Amino acid sequence: MDSVLAWAHAAGWAVYVGGAITMEFILRYAQKTMPPSQVAVVCKNSGGRYRWFALGALLVIGVTGLAMVLRLSESDLAGRPGDPVLSLSDAYGRTMLLLSLGWVVLAGIVASMAFWMHPAQARRSRPDMTPEEIQAERRRVGIAISRMNRLLKAELYLSIAMVAVGASLRQGGLF
Amino acid sequence: MNVLDWDLVVFLEMGLRKWKDLSIGLNVLYSFIHDIAIAVYIGGAVAMEYVLNPAQRAIPPAQAQVMGQKTADRFLWLVWGSLGLILLTGTLRLERLQMLDWEWPFFSDAMTLSGSYGRTVLAMFIIWCILAINGLIITFVLRPRLAGKLSTRTSASGVAAAQGSKIQAATWVERLTRFDIVAALTAALLGVSLASGGML
Repeated sequence: MDSVLAWAHAAGWAVYVGGAITMEFILRYAQKTMPPSQVAVVCKNSGGRYRWFALGALLVIGVTGLAMVLRLSESDLAGRPGDPVLSLSDAYGRTMLLLSLGWVVLAGIVASMAFWMHPAQARRSRPDMTPEEIQAERRRVGIAISRMNRLLKAELYLSIAMVAVGASLRQGGLF
Repeated sequence: MNVLDWDLVVFLEMGLRKWKDLSIGLNVLYSFIHDIAIAVYIGGAVAMEYVLNPAQRAIPPAQAQVMGQKTADRFLWLVWGSLGLILLTGTLRLERLQMLDWEWPFFSDAMTLSGSYGRTVLAMFIIWCILAINGLIITFVLRPRLAGKLSTRTSASGVAAAQGSKIQAATWVERLTRFDIVAALTAALLGVSLASGGML
């Protein structure tokens, strides 16, 4: 059971972080060679699908992470490097807290992109709009795109940092 | 104050006193790189197969082909980088766990095939070899077929044959990618089981 939970947890992180790296390293690069109208279509389609993968992966990470913590016993920890203790007085406990906070921030970022930023980019001007309204609408979409780009970068760096923090648990925690 | 002393001061300032021990830092570094490489391999394959490929179908075929080629070429760099790092850091981690040695007989007693740990590591290595072989097939057989261009002198039957060959190659790339995802997830399951002594 512990192996299955650990595997689902690792698979969740792999899909989430690997997907984020791939989207940044590959999709952003491919976009540079495409006409802007098609960039918008590809972004809408890939972003729409990716957000569900990211949210699903984060959900799996959260549920399996919590289950693993609840199943963790002192005897499990005793044989590990650094003699960790699940307490805030120990590096292991503090690192777990940092990971939990990181998960909350990542979930917040992905949820805000899925339910707020991404729909904000999909706004289109209507025929009954005045030129000023069309300009304002375009500005809003431009702002939404630049916000989205900043959040995507923050999400990418934070998720990679969380993998490093998680890796430190095998040595008894980070700090 | 030399560089090492300065590093030490910075680490102490940050409250990371335990990191004075270089071996702990190396263990974490190898684990981190290993985990990231596996994540890039699995997550990248999932994103390519289930996010980027369907997104390509939303744009005109000619542009989709250009995008497909760009994304696939770049993804292959990620795949080979990941496979290389997985093997390298996996070997280094085993060496740090004193399961491997650089001198004969190379393997510790725990790594022999009579133990679950050794059998699990062997299974993971076999899966890595399968992933590398599939990577070679995609890189050197299927991708060149997909990227092949037709000249203006190509006959109608030649065009039809080339298109058939490209469709067949694309189908095989899709099959191999899906197989690779399942194989890599199986390797990950075997990998996490090593913490409790192995699975096989």
